[in-house]
Amino acid sequence: MDPGYRGALKPTGGSSAWHKRRPLELRETLVSYAFLLPALAFFGVFVVYPILVGVFTSFFDYTMRKFDFVGLDNYIRLFGDKIFLKSMKNTILLVAGAVPMVVIFSVFISSTIYQKSPLVRSLFRGVFYLPVVTGTVSVTVVWKWIFDPFSGVLNWVLQSAGLTDQPIMWLGDRRYALWAILAVLFTTSIGQPVVLYTAALGNLDKSQIEAAEIDGASDWQVFRYVKWPGMMPTTLYVAVITTINSFQCFSLIQLLTSGGPNYNTSTVMYLLYERAFKLMQFGYANAMGVVLAVVIGIISILQFRVFGSNVEY
Amino acid sequence: MKRVVTILLMTVLLLSAHVAAQAPATQLKAEVTWWSFPNFLTVDGIPGKHEQSIIKAFNAKYPNIKVNIEMIDFASGPEKIVTAIQGGTAPDVLFDAPGRIIDYGKNGVLANLNDMFTAEFIKDVNNKNVIDACKVGSNFYMYPISTAPFLMAFNKDMLQKHGLLHMLPTEGDRTWTTSQYTALLKALKAKNERGAIVFCISQGGDQGTRAFMANLFNSSITDAAVTKYTINDSNGVKGLQYVVDAIKDGLLLNGSASDGTGAIDEFCAQRVSHTILFSPGLQAVKQHMTNFEPIMAPYPSENGTPALEYLIDGFCVLNNGDANRIKAAKLLIDFICNDPVWGPKNVVATNTFPVRSSFGNLYKGDGTMTFLAGLTKYYAPYYNTINGFAAMRTAWFPALQAAFSGEKTAKKALDDFVKAANESIKR
Repeated sequence: MDPGYRGALKPTGGSSAWHKRRPLELRETLVSYAFLLPALAFFGVFVVYPILVGVFTSFFDYTMRKFDFVGLDNYIRLFGDKIFLKSMKNTILLVAGAVPMVVIFSVFISSTIYQKSPLVRSLFRGVFYLPVVTGTVSVTVVWKWIFDPFSGVLNWVLQSAGLTDQPIMWLGDRRYALWAILAVLFTTSIGQPVVLYTAALGNLDKSQIEAAEIDGASDWQVFRYVKWPGMMPTTLYVAVITTINSFQCFSLIQLLTSGGPNYNTSTVMYLLYERAFKLMQFGYANAMGVVLAVVIGIISILQFRVFGSNVEY
Repeated sequence: MKRVVTILLMTVLLLSAHVAAQAPATQLKAEVTWWSFPNFLTVDGIPGKHEQSIIKAFNAKYPNIKVNIEMIDFASGPEKIVTAIQGGTAPDVLFDAPGRIIDYGKNGVLANLNDMFTAEFIKDVNNKNVIDACKVGSNFYMYPISTAPFLMAFNKDMLQKHGLLHMLPTEGDRTWTTSQYTALLKALKAKNERGAIVFCISQGGDQGTRAFMANLFNSSITDAAVTKYTINDSNGVKGLQYVVDAIKDGLLLNGSASDGTGAIDEFCAQRVSHTILFSPGLQAVKQHMTNFEPIMAPYPSENGTPALEYLIDGFCVLNNGDANRIKAAKLLIDFICNDPVWGPKNVVATNTFPVRSSFGNLYKGDGTMTFLAGLTKYYAPYYNTINGFAAMRTAWFPALQAAFSGEKTAKKALDDFVKAANESIKR
C-alpha cells in the first residue's frame, strides 16, 4: 500500500479520531479484496491448482490405469530421452531465432511508420496485426497450402521464376522444416510488438530527440542513445512475451509437421502433447512441462536482468 | 403389529423392485451421449444427419432414452476422447475401431459387452479374426458392425487415356506382382503422371503405408501370432528400400510433408495417378470430390498373394459408473447393429460389409463390392489390438521420414522402429 495513503490514516487529532477511521479502513480493505476475489478464485482454480497438480503428478507413473509414485524417475528418464533432448534443442533454436528477429523487425517497422499520417500508420499496424486476430489455426492452414510441395504457391513461384527445378519439401525436409516453422512463428508473433513499439515511439519525449538533433547527433546516434533507451520497457515486455510464446510453440507444429521429419521440428510442447494425449503418459508429460516452465523462468529472469537494468518507469 | 407393518412394507418394496426390474427395456429411462467419428456417409452433405435419423428410429422403440449425438473428427477426436475420459466427461457410446477401443478396454475405462456376444451372434459373424479383435482376454469391449479391406486405388480414366489400363489387373481378385506394379509406375512416369504420395507426416492413415511396404516383398508387420514386430526382416527392408529408390527415381512421391487425407485428396483432385490407401468407405466419402472412376486393387506383392489389413467398425460403451446408462447404451448399440431394418441400413451407410453373415449381400449387382467381398481370404493377422499399438504408431512415421531423407538407411530405420515397437508391447 502507498505509504502516503497509510500516513493519511494515522491519528492526527487524538486516538479517538483514529479509532473512528479504523472500521472505515477495514471496510475499504474488505471491499477491495471482495472485488479481487473472483479473479483470485479464477487464478487459483485454473492456474495455481493445475500447476500444483502438474508438479505433483510429475513424480508419478501416471497413465489411465496406473498412478504409482516413482520419485524423480520421470525427470531422470527425460534427460536420457533423445527425442526430448532433440525437441528441447529445436525449441531453443526457435526461441533464439524468433526473439531477436521479432524485436529487430518490429523496431524497424515501427520506426518507419510512427511518424507517418494516422491513416498510413493504422494501415500498417492493421496489416501486421492481422495474423494475430485471424487465429493461429486459420493462418497455419494457409501456410500449409503455401508450403505444399505438390500444389503450393511457394514452389510454383520459385519454379516459375526458374529458381528451383524440383519442388522443395518445405515441411518434410529436415534442411528446411525448422526454418519454415520459424517463418510462420515470426509472422504470427510480429503483430503485437509492432503496435507496442509504434505506441512507445509516439510517447517518447520529443524535446530530447530535438535536443540531440540540434547537438548534431546522427539518426543512428539519436536512435541508439535517445530512442532505444526510451523503448526499453517495451523491449523487455516484447522479449519476455515472445520468449514465452516461442517456448510454448505447439499449434504450428501440430498442424504443419506433427514434429517431423523424424522429430526435427518437434518442440517440448508438442512432445508433451504427444506423450500425454497419444500415449497417455501423463506423469512423464507433466515432468516435461515442469522442466519447460523452469527453463522459461530462468530465461525470463535473465532477460529481466539484462534489459531490466536499463529500464526506468 | 409393528413387525407386521415392517414385513408388509418390505414385501411391497421388494415387489416394486422386482416389477421395476422386470419392466420392459422399452420403458427404460436414461440419457446417453454418443460420440461418432464420421464413419457413416453424410446425408445431404451434413455430417451427423444419418446418426440423427437412427436416433429418431431408436426413440420410436425406446421413447424414454434420450440420445445426444456429437460428431468428432479423426484429427482431434482421439485426443478429445482421452481428455474427456480423464476429465470424467466421457460419452456413453463411441463408434470407432479396435485400435483405440481395445486400448481403452485395456485401460479399464470400458464396460464389458460380454452379454451382447451371444452364441447366435458369434455363430452369425463366423469369423474368428473379427471376434478376437473385439476382446481383451475373455472380455468383449467392441461390438462390431462392419468390415472392409484397405487397398490402393488408381485413376481408371487416367490409365485409359494413356492406354495403360491393361497393366493393372482388373479381373478376378485383381492380385498382382511387384514387377507388374513397377512396370506400371515407369509407364506412368513416361506419360508425365505422378505416382502415389507415400504419406508420413503423421500417424493418420499409417496402416496404408505399413501394408504397402510389407506386401512389396511379402514381409509382414508382425509374426503370425501377433506377439512381436517383424517388418525389419530382409524382405521388409527390401520393401522400404524399394520405396526410397522409387522416390529418388520419381516413380513415387515423398510424403514426408503429407498426411493420409491430403494424399487421398491429391488423388481425388487427379494430381497423382494413384493412392496407396483407399477403401470402399473412403470412396463413398470422397465421391463428391472425385470426377473420375477410381479402380481399387490389392497391394502388389512379390509372389502375387497379398496380405491385407482391414477395418472393423464397431461400438464401445464407456463405463461412467451408472448401470442404467450402460444398459441404455447397450440397447442403442444393439438397435444400430441388429435391428432388422436399421442394421443392414447402417452397414450400407458405411459402404462396407456386414460382420453378420445373415445380412447377406447388401450390394447385389455391384461389381466392385462383389470383388471387395471376395478379398477376405487375403486378410492378414489383425495386429491393431496388440499391446502398445498407439506407441508403435508414433514410431512408424518418423522411421519412414528418416529413411526418405537419408538420415537413416532402410535397415536402420526399420531396426529402430521394430526395437521401439517391441518395447511398446512390453511397457
